[in-house]
Amino acid sequence: MLIRQISVFLENEKGKFAEIARLLGNNGINMKAFTVSETQDFGIARIIVERDQIERAFNLIKANSYAVTMTHVVYLECAHKPGAMAEAMEKLSAAGISVEYMYAFADSSSEFSRVIIRPDNTELANQIIAEL
Amino acid sequence: MSRDQMRELQSEKLRKIVAHAYNNSPFYKKRFDEHGVHPDDIKSIDDIVKLPFTVKQDLRDNYPFGMMCVPMTDILRLHASSGTTGKPIVVGYTAKDLDNWADAVARCLSAYGLGSNDMVQIAYGYGLFTGGLGAHDGVTKIGGTVIPTSSGNTQKQLQLMQDFGATAVACTPSYALYMAEEIRKQGLDIKNFKLKVGIFGAEPWTEAMRKELEDKLQIRAFDIYGLTEISGPGVGGECECQNGTHLWEDLYYPEIIDPVTLQPVEPGQKGELVFTTLDKWGMPMIRYRTRDLTYLNYDKCECGRTAVRMGKILGRSDDMMIIRGVNVFPSQVESILLEFPEYEPYFLIEVDRVNNTDTFDIQVEVKPEFYTDRINELVRLRQRLTARIQSVIGIQPNIKIVQPGTIERSTGKAKRAIDHRKFE
Repeated sequence: MLIRQISVFLENEKGKFAEIARLLGNNGINMKAFTVSETQDFGIARIIVERDQIERAFNLIKANSYAVTMTHVVYLECAHKPGAMAEAMEKLSAAGISVEYMYAFADSSSEFSRVIIRPDNTELANQIIAEL
Repeated sequence: MSRDQMRELQSEKLRKIVAHAYNNSPFYKKRFDEHGVHPDDIKSIDDIVKLPFTVKQDLRDNYPFGMMCVPMTDILRLHASSGTTGKPIVVGYTAKDLDNWADAVARCLSAYGLGSNDMVQIAYGYGLFTGGLGAHDGVTKIGGTVIPTSSGNTQKQLQLMQDFGATAVACTPSYALYMAEEIRKQGLDIKNFKLKVGIFGAEPWTEAMRKELEDKLQIRAFDIYGLTEISGPGVGGECECQNGTHLWEDLYYPEIIDPVTLQPVEPGQKGELVFTTLDKWGMPMIRYRTRDLTYLNYDKCECGRTAVRMGKILGRSDDMMIIRGVNVFPSQVESILLEFPEYEPYFLIEVDRVNNTDTFDIQVEVKPEFYTDRINELVRLRQRLTARIQSVIGIQPNIKIVQPGTIERSTGKAKRAIDHRKFE
């Protein structure tokens, strides 16, 4: 499934991610998942929120002078069993798809782990994931 | 030489060089004609105020050889300093010019107490930069021994300096401090070095730095002043009194003007330093505005020299900064940013000195549509800007991408550079 993700450019300074989290929190927006990648000087926070809140989250962050972008990423529900992730990745790889980055969040009360994948070819990756 | 004799010599030389410039350079002929002045109007050195000024932009506009006043076959050497968008400032020297330049450096070296028994390690960069070869020719002129290490490779510098027994070192004062620090770190004993004199220039430095250098390297540290447009290092140098930089005014005639009214100031008053090269034939500079702010002292020095002394450089009448010995204009950064569609044209330069090395940070903003979730794209974009600035300006900046709207937008008087270094 394709879902939308918000990416926010963050200067590598104390409290920068806290500002974003507080901004969303004060406006009743819950982060369902996120990851932060960093270089020496800056980082990028990628955030998933409820589908019906994403436009509001995007506009809020933008209105507060952050550089923010919205991109489609592939959402994968991966069974909680050995080899399940390997199978998914092998299929993507066999189709010539490279993954730019990905992150996962496991939920022990569910039979699935949820994985967010940012491939170079989003459409194709989504088809392959759908056929798993 | 008495001041009167000096003025007579200067007058004679000025008449000749002005006629030479007028008769051999379409640039100077046009400039003089527009200004309504003819070489026949120049009878003595006092008439110099009748002449029009020359500025850095004139050298850029006449790139590469438009300012030369002799056929190129008579030019024996070219030097250049960094310019905007890849166009450097080019200077050319005849055989006589090179000889006069070497002579000027030799006078500095003699004033530092150096002679034919000395061995001088030249850790200024050799190449288009005038520092290395300029100092080199001066040492050769006094019959000293040159160790042409050029800049960099500190480990080797120190090894040779110790093994060869160099008695003097020529480099930027900040690099000398760095070497002093390395000597300490490597556990070397300064007593095993034979250094007695430091020849420091190409960037502003303070009395505090002088004291530190003299203590740590067990030397006497002397200033050498110069600029590419006028010749290079050796336009002036300190003497044993370390009380002002003597200018070799039979070669390079100095004036101080008010940078706003462009009128000469009273002797001793602060203003912008202007030079006329009285004996430089390849590319004479007539009333060249250095943009350096300082003052002149015509009193006879305790060392016995009557040559005028220049005070410390107090600042600039433009926004040029000297970073790691390299001249940097904020406008250079601006024109480079304009080459990149991904960046906003706003920036803030911050310069500081950390561990005796100048830092060169530039804050920039990426245009909103070029932000991305892919960190590698931003890293590459940053890398491209870093490489471009390094290739144009000559030193590597630390590019810091900041959030949109961080950098001050007001155009007119926006502060585009902050220098945190302490020079006094």
